[in-house]
Amino acid sequence: MSQNAYLPKLGRIAAIKEEVPGGRAIKTFRIEFVNGDGFEHDCGQCAMISVFGKGESMISIASAPHIKDYKQFSIMRVGRVTTALHDLNVGDVVGIRGPYGNKFPVKDWKGKNLIFIGGGCGLAPIWPVIQTAVNDRGQFGKISVFYGGRSSRDIMYKNELDKLKGDAEVHLSIDNQEEGWDGYCGFVPANVMSKTPSPENAIAITCGPPIMIKFVIQNLKELGFTDENIYTTIENKMKCGIGKCGRCNVGKDYVCVNGPVYSWAALKDLPQEY
Amino acid sequence: MTKTVAMEKMLKKADLAAWMAKLEQTRLFAPALEDEDVWNYMPVADAKAVGLDHPNTIRPPKGFVFPQREVLYKFSQIPSEAPILTETLPDPEPTVVFGVRPCDSRGLVRQDIVFTKEYEDPYYHGRRAKVIYVGQACNTPPSANCFCSSVGGSPCAEDGLDVLMTELDGVYHVKAVTARGAELLAKGGDLFKEASDADKASVLKTHAAAKAHPQRPIKDLGKVAGALKKNFDSPAWDEMAKACIGCGICTFLCPTCHCFDINDEVTCSSPCSGERVRTWDTCQFPDFTMHTSGHNPRHDLGSRLRQRVCHKFLYFVENHDTQQCTGCGRCVSLCPVGIDIVSVVERLGQP
Repeated sequence: MSQNAYLPKLGRIAAIKEEVPGGRAIKTFRIEFVNGDGFEHDCGQCAMISVFGKGESMISIASAPHIKDYKQFSIMRVGRVTTALHDLNVGDVVGIRGPYGNKFPVKDWKGKNLIFIGGGCGLAPIWPVIQTAVNDRGQFGKISVFYGGRSSRDIMYKNELDKLKGDAEVHLSIDNQEEGWDGYCGFVPANVMSKTPSPENAIAITCGPPIMIKFVIQNLKELGFTDENIYTTIENKMKCGIGKCGRCNVGKDYVCVNGPVYSWAALKDLPQEY
Repeated sequence: MTKTVAMEKMLKKADLAAWMAKLEQTRLFAPALEDEDVWNYMPVADAKAVGLDHPNTIRPPKGFVFPQREVLYKFSQIPSEAPILTETLPDPEPTVVFGVRPCDSRGLVRQDIVFTKEYEDPYYHGRRAKVIYVGQACNTPPSANCFCSSVGGSPCAEDGLDVLMTELDGVYHVKAVTARGAELLAKGGDLFKEASDADKASVLKTHAAAKAHPQRPIKDLGKVAGALKKNFDSPAWDEMAKACIGCGICTFLCPTCHCFDINDEVTCSSPCSGERVRTWDTCQFPDFTMHTSGHNPRHDLGSRLRQRVCHKFLYFVENHDTQQCTGCGRCVSLCPVGIDIVSVVERLGQP
């Protein structure tokens, strides 16, 4: 293996799925390492994806660690690199280096009820945990997934969420009522409150826009969840992925090394610089 | 970096040029006047002109190991094909840098921590292995903004150096601190005489006198980190940053600042080819931390001043048990609007 952490491995785009159309377009890229020269990862970890000539972006790995043949990334088209990624086709080759960051302590959660709360493209970072739990279904208690988008068009992983239904309770929401929508109408934190999940023997895992996370945590506390049993994953701008370029720090922590996964017990004492 | 040795020799001032002449196949740098009052490290063109009587340079010597622009690798890619990536690890000629002030060599130790602890950065390592630092103790009274002694250093500190030179009357006391420093002295051969007991006593006296010069004090250095943590939400950060124009000079000219950006520089668009480049960056720029969404965790001048000061006096202490400031005073002297890190620490870093 190369000692040079900056030098990416190569990944070929094996499939592209359009999750969400329009201005906040999200596509899921299935990437296979060229010549099998890749790496393994844990739930919650990220990878730097390169479009040569455009740059690199840190993206959370959305496929579960037990899937070895490829890695999946669900990416919203927002900036220079993500726009370039959206313009690529199946067969194109990108750079990929990693994995970066810590992991969700999934092994410690055996026998527990898991409550996932995602918003927008914040479903992607927690999706590997959902997949791991479902793959090893007998090892976990009740699984609930709360997920919301601004509108029904903004809901990603529609088919995959459907498939979860035998293994997990799925509670979808959109911000405003639409014709034909039979799920919850309103914001994600409110949807959680309306179902009052029990904190008993439970872990809550949340990811989404910062404002959503803030109210989700507030509501979970109200429901009786302790700080130690609430997990989230945060993001900051990153360049190196190895704690040297200096920009993703939250206090003394570099999110690329010490994060992105935090229990609220650990995160609440760090400065609000994320 | 290397095993510590202690070899003390004496070199006549007039023989400095002769020593330099013996250092063949090595690039030599020493502080020289680049412009009126502007001292910087320059290639030694005429060894006889090297006086080693400089005040500190405007730029610290960090660029020898962590250059302002470093090509990480070259790429070229035909659409839908795999790119060709060519690693460009540096292999510079052996280099000796003379006249490094102890604050700056302690800055190199901080760079070493960042670039070699936990993961050895191959670009940094490639250069660091080829650069020898010959330090110059500060005998003369410090400048108005020097505060090395207040952050654990001294005008004759050896950390990070291979050789420490101290000017005495007409001679240099030359101490090899590392094995490669000793090799450098060995190349001087007969030019060097063993330091006598009297010479050693004399250099100790000179160092003691240098340390006795008053510098800007920082009270209770050990309590600064805790106080900064307590004052994280103080409105004083905004107040003190009001004059800041966000130029980043304080960080670009800092011997310890290491933050960088990585970007692609495209030389040909079709087929796409170019270089992935690492360049110095600064926490003082708004887009240093701005997310693609536009959200910026450090969105104002106050939060960016706080980041600079807290990185040096709080976070680095928490992570590495030492300050990431060596008291060179550049950020104070060269700030166009007079923001003064010592004053900030005095105000928000005191219990």
